[in-house]
Amino acid sequence: MRSAHASSAAVLACALALTGCQGGVSQKGEGSRNKIKIGTITSLTGSNAAFGQAHKNGYAIALDELNSRGGLLGKTVELDYYDDQSRPDQAVQGVSKLVDLDNVPIILGAYSSENTRAIVPAVTQKQVPLLMPTATADNVMETGSPWTFRICAGSGAYATATVAFLKGMGAPKTMAIIYENTNFGQSNAQAMQAAAKQAGIEVVDTEAYQASTPDYKALLQRVKARSPAVIYFASYLLDASTLMRQAEQVGLNPAYYTSAGTGFAAAEFPTPDKGAGRNAEYTFSVSQWLPSAKWKGSKEFDDKYVQRTGSHPAYHAIEAYITLLAAAEAIKKANSTDPKAIRDALKQLDMPETTFGPIRFDPKGQNQHPVLITQVQGGQYKVVWPADAAESKPIIPTPPWTKR
Amino acid sequence: MERFFSALQAILNGVLTGSLYALIGMGMALIFGVMRIVNFAHGAFMMVGMYVTYLLFQGAGLNPYFGFIGSAMFLFLLGYLFYRGLLKPIRGRSDFMQILLTLGFGLILTDGIQLLFGADYHQINLPLLGKNLRLGSQISLNAPWLISFGIALMLGALLYFFVMHTMLGRAARAIAQNRYAAPLMGINVDRVQALSFGIGVAAAGVAGGLLLPVFYLYPTVGDQFTLKAFVMVVLGGMGSIQGAAMAGLVLGVVENLTSLYWGNEWALAVDFVIFLSVLSLRPSGIFGSQRV
Repeated sequence: MRSAHASSAAVLACALALTGCQGGVSQKGEGSRNKIKIGTITSLTGSNAAFGQAHKNGYAIALDELNSRGGLLGKTVELDYYDDQSRPDQAVQGVSKLVDLDNVPIILGAYSSENTRAIVPAVTQKQVPLLMPTATADNVMETGSPWTFRICAGSGAYATATVAFLKGMGAPKTMAIIYENTNFGQSNAQAMQAAAKQAGIEVVDTEAYQASTPDYKALLQRVKARSPAVIYFASYLLDASTLMRQAEQVGLNPAYYTSAGTGFAAAEFPTPDKGAGRNAEYTFSVSQWLPSAKWKGSKEFDDKYVQRTGSHPAYHAIEAYITLLAAAEAIKKANSTDPKAIRDALKQLDMPETTFGPIRFDPKGQNQHPVLITQVQGGQYKVVWPADAAESKPIIPTPPWTKR
Repeated sequence: MERFFSALQAILNGVLTGSLYALIGMGMALIFGVMRIVNFAHGAFMMVGMYVTYLLFQGAGLNPYFGFIGSAMFLFLLGYLFYRGLLKPIRGRSDFMQILLTLGFGLILTDGIQLLFGADYHQINLPLLGKNLRLGSQISLNAPWLISFGIALMLGALLYFFVMHTMLGRAARAIAQNRYAAPLMGINVDRVQALSFGIGVAAAGVAGGLLLPVFYLYPTVGDQFTLKAFVMVVLGGMGSIQGAAMAGLVLGVVENLTSLYWGNEWALAVDFVIFLSVLSLRPSGIFGSQRV
């Protein structure tokens, strides 16, 4: 009897733990008349902290540039950070905090597609423009909200670019899709399924997984049994590293490891300390920008970033950087800190030459950004597609693990 | 044949993963099953064990396969002091006070670690990671998992021996049977309970240390293991150390087979389906008797 009692206590406590609440941490700035506050939601802690920190560094470089040029409308610019702890409910709370308490006229963020999708209804209801740096799931732009703008290319563009690349590289016939089971992974898996079908590539297996489990070996075994020529991953960093290590353990040898960027494009991914190390070698990834990109200022941004952090940036950092600069440009054009005026200025925004290429939003709020394909070669990301931007030839097929 | 080997591979992998689950589960069986303390900080203790092992590796270059000993000692001390300082004063009161206390302490550990080391994740890359033992052309076993398995097996046997055959273990079980009669038999309840709690937590610390080479660590890494630990204790039968160990292995194998045949997204769901069905259909657990 006593044991049944204790067990039921455990069940109750499970429920308690699942709903357990933690308050959001944020840095509150002094509300002052000669400052313009810009709201920023990102994942400074939690499982996506690596990307949140990349955001923060990118924002900080843009902020320095803005303020050293005299700020905006004669005022100093200040960033008001809200840490969503990599959790969507916290991101939504961030909108309330930033808009209701701090009265920010515009919000930049969030990091992940999951959290960004979660805050779209909140900013729409509060009528504040939202400028998204990194959310690639296309459903963040499909709500019809007139308050949303996106800097980066989305999952549809990722899939199309990957398929076009594969077509030019011997047109493999079969593919398996492996994706993390939240908005980012789901959206990219769907987009790839459609793109592959159109290109006549048979998708022989799709595998969803929960990130943050230690063991993907059985999943990889399933994929191995179907022996696809191509694998397309949609993964964050922790899972990407583990997947590639365990791919070796399982002896999974497709001709192409391709991916929807993110974990597979993070600066940490090819490093041994924070990523997959040598197991990252030969993996392909879509990318939105690299330090070697052709756009003016890419090299300078890379230098500033290295100076600040000691490591090279991936595209997540520059997307944050450009997002803040675009927001500043809109505020300048609007000549006001009224959310509606800024929104209208964003619609008209035209920045033909930035470090991230031209920035211009279509009627739906999407910036048309070209997508590159990179391959890890010698521990470095090298652009291998499209031909006019390629620094290096792709190495295919991927050598089997036993021959590396 | 192909199918047979893939199933065999999944089962073997499941046993390797399961051995680490078993250590976590045995620690929990001692604390929750035998001592009846609903320990919601179990996963957080395990996480601290991972950080200790990590720091020993980074700071002193100590290989985690030795570093876990340091982690066990630190966790034992932490558990002992936690029991003496915080748990003892509320023993004998409602279970819910324990739940809130351990839940709260777990949050403090998690956030404390986050404050000290940041939310960033860390991993160590031992050269061993790339080594695989191949049995024939079909089966391969990863070296670090194998080593962890061997150590877990030894320590699991030690823990079982401790609970079932030493004076201290007998005393702990005697207290669980009757908290009021035990001191009349000359058992120092506070001392035995504090030591047992320390040992249970140290087992989680060892599991954390052994998990480190094949996983990564971040402050909330332990949360999922707290829930798994409860599943194991319930599945193994409350108070049964060997039951929890078996349950750990079963959980590892079931998760891997679920992953192989249904897909990875079902693996976690299956844990809780097992948990709920065992609780409602066979509350005394699947393994062993209702023995304490």
